[in-house]
Amino acid sequence: MRRRSLGNAAAPLAAVIIIIVLMSIAMLVAGTSPLDGFSALIAGSLGGRSQIGETLVATSALLFPSLGIALAFRAGLFNIGAEGQLLVGALLAGAFGGSVTLPPFLAIIIMLALGAIGGGLWGAIAGWMKAKLRANEIISTLMLNFVAQYVTLWLVTQWLMGPAAIGAETAWLPNTYWLPTLIPHTRLSIGILIAIAIAVLLQFLFTRTVLGYELRAAGEAPEAARRNGINLPRLTWLSLTLSGAIAGIGGATIVAGELHRFNTQLSPGYGYVAIAVALVGDLDPLKVCVASFFFGILEAGGLAMQASAQVPKDTIHVIEGIIILVLAARRYVAQRSERVEAGSL
Amino acid sequence: MSTPALRLRGIRKAFPGVVAVDGVDLDLTAGEIHALVGENGAGKSTLAAIAFGELHPDAGSVESNGTVGLVHQHFELVGRLNVWQNVLLGREPRRGWRIDAAAARERVRALSKANELDIDPDALVEDLPIGAQQRVELLRELERDPSILLLDEPTAALAPAEIDGFFASVTQLARRGTAVLIVTHKLQEVIAYSARVSVMRRGRIVAAMPTAETSVDEIARAMVGGELPQIAQRAQTTPRPCLTVHALQAGSAESGVTGIDLEVRGGEIVGIAGVEGNGQTALADAIAGVLPYRGSVRFTPELSPKRERSRVETSVIPQDRHVEGLVLNFSIVENAVLGRQNRPGIRRGVLLDREKAREDAQAIVERFDVRAASLDVKVRTLSGGNQQKLLVGRALIDQPHFVLAYNPTRGIDVGAAALVQSRLIETRNAGTAVLLISFDLDEILALADRICVIYRGAIAGRFDRANVERAAIGRLMAGSQ
Repeated sequence: MRRRSLGNAAAPLAAVIIIIVLMSIAMLVAGTSPLDGFSALIAGSLGGRSQIGETLVATSALLFPSLGIALAFRAGLFNIGAEGQLLVGALLAGAFGGSVTLPPFLAIIIMLALGAIGGGLWGAIAGWMKAKLRANEIISTLMLNFVAQYVTLWLVTQWLMGPAAIGAETAWLPNTYWLPTLIPHTRLSIGILIAIAIAVLLQFLFTRTVLGYELRAAGEAPEAARRNGINLPRLTWLSLTLSGAIAGIGGATIVAGELHRFNTQLSPGYGYVAIAVALVGDLDPLKVCVASFFFGILEAGGLAMQASAQVPKDTIHVIEGIIILVLAARRYVAQRSERVEAGSL
Repeated sequence: MSTPALRLRGIRKAFPGVVAVDGVDLDLTAGEIHALVGENGAGKSTLAAIAFGELHPDAGSVESNGTVGLVHQHFELVGRLNVWQNVLLGREPRRGWRIDAAAARERVRALSKANELDIDPDALVEDLPIGAQQRVELLRELERDPSILLLDEPTAALAPAEIDGFFASVTQLARRGTAVLIVTHKLQEVIAYSARVSVMRRGRIVAAMPTAETSVDEIARAMVGGELPQIAQRAQTTPRPCLTVHALQAGSAESGVTGIDLEVRGGEIVGIAGVEGNGQTALADAIAGVLPYRGSVRFTPELSPKRERSRVETSVIPQDRHVEGLVLNFSIVENAVLGRQNRPGIRRGVLLDREKAREDAQAIVERFDVRAASLDVKVRTLSGGNQQKLLVGRALIDQPHFVLAYNPTRGIDVGAAALVQSRLIETRNAGTAVLLISFDLDEILALADRICVIYRGAIAGRFDRANVERAAIGRLMAGSQ
């Protein structure tokens, strides 16, 4: 018993150590000393105001979908569709902001709300499919990522293309609609504060509310939950909707905070990396904030590392993939050994 | 007396965190049935496994005078094979490279006849009733002609009539010189069939005596190390039934219920007696509202001035505490509110009142004697008995109008079981309607004011406490009139 709880606490730390070891190996293979590689990584991510700004921009972009994923995972739903949810939320926000004239404050609020609605709708589709048709949410959320990718591309190229667009992107937002900058002379907007506020709200949801309690019970022991008056289908669509909405707000803050327009390429896979972030953060909203910052360092420092240490930036994504596998395997093993334990008694 | 067939001396076996067997001496004599009894976790099964050679003791010696056979608590049969294939598995007679089916069949037939174990060698095992499967299991051990036979909870799944038949065979066997050790917690069987009894508690033998010189009470006292609490007398019942079940149909054809009528009044315990698999689970799930059904299940609010709540409050003590009752990774506090999270007093707007949850958990822990280091430990870390007491405490703490208790004391030690039973009685005395479904007839007889026997999804007979007849119930449970 003691050993398992210790294992839970140590897992995020172990994940970080594995990342560092794997990166060291990659650097050695590339012919660079890990010391040089890591100092390049740190300098590129934390070495100055603009570097820190970029790190926090990445942190913010990862934090929203990670929190959404943590919510769904806690409810026992493997939502791996944050990427699509983020994209749809961003599109609605961008399409609105680039075409409608309103008082700025109201416009910003509506853009964020549209982000939540778009992402929430995308999550709700998977939730409805699971609750009504018993469709496995892993498959449906993953597939909906591709649907989102091509639907947004189609919508933008057909109807929403901005006048000065270079790629597939909407019109620019008037600069009064931009989210205020948090650190002057960086791209960092107040979006990250919204993300942290959502993390605090989630923590409150889990620990203080009946809904959060039911959600965790459903995730931990669905049969016990069902037999104790918890409506599982309702929780399924509700948590996937909320999960998608959080990712969608993230998409809207990228549009309103950093890019100032919607571009179909706006996410380099934040929604996927966020799965690793959520797991490294132990699905705990406050730890997920720390994990997002760590991954933000990797995202932002990766380019600098590539330039000075000749380690391709993609290495980081390979390593993130390994982390997902390691953590997923750990959960699987824990579940199995529990079953064995129960069977032996 | 001759030299013992099996001789255990100073046996000790520790598992991480617990000494399961702590310095045990035990002799089995040829031709004698020896009963080994004790609470769950007393070390009986561990000792049997050591005697069989399945486990190695940390200290002590095992000397056996001949071969040892072990019949497990859980059957280890291949359902898709027939009886002779199971009995002779791995030791089939051959003709050239083929199995000699005719010879095999004959061998099993002769063996079953010699031991008076009535069984068709060609029957498919999965089609056989539990009692017959138990005979196959026994036959398989007999085929190896052991001079010492260990039986671990052999009658756990048998109907009373099957139990008699089973013991007739075992008695036969002993008469012909086999030393038999029966690990059990059914004291009636011990008294009826064994020659000697040894009682284990916390890894030690605390009493050993000839069965003729002892009684159920004495054995039970030795098992728990104290007096058992007395069960209280029947209380006043309400004039109108609290639960009315009419023409209930639910579940599959094999294990469901087909047209059950039932009434439970406030202030009484109605017991559903029956062998496992005769529709109890479908009945419980339909009443609990988690299985679709036809017919009606109605809860009627009580009109007495003592209770003015118009809504009927119900709670369930489910059969499987790990899967259906508790969230093992939640704390005691969090588990104490499961199923009660929307009740006024616990829910405040959207919030869960954590102070109230903690107070309730504290009350349950005190009243139901749940032993834990703190209210914040995960329920996973509690022993089975403590988990069950928590589960029962949660179901009873709000003094509901109706409680469904499905095997409320299964798999927990005698002390915890006694506490659960006396709390159920108290709840009944306070006016709650209790429906008790149990596979343990002794429990039903001890607690129920009225008894319904369930057989193949229907009520086969009804008894009042005043005119209850154990043998008649046993016959109905086994499907005869």
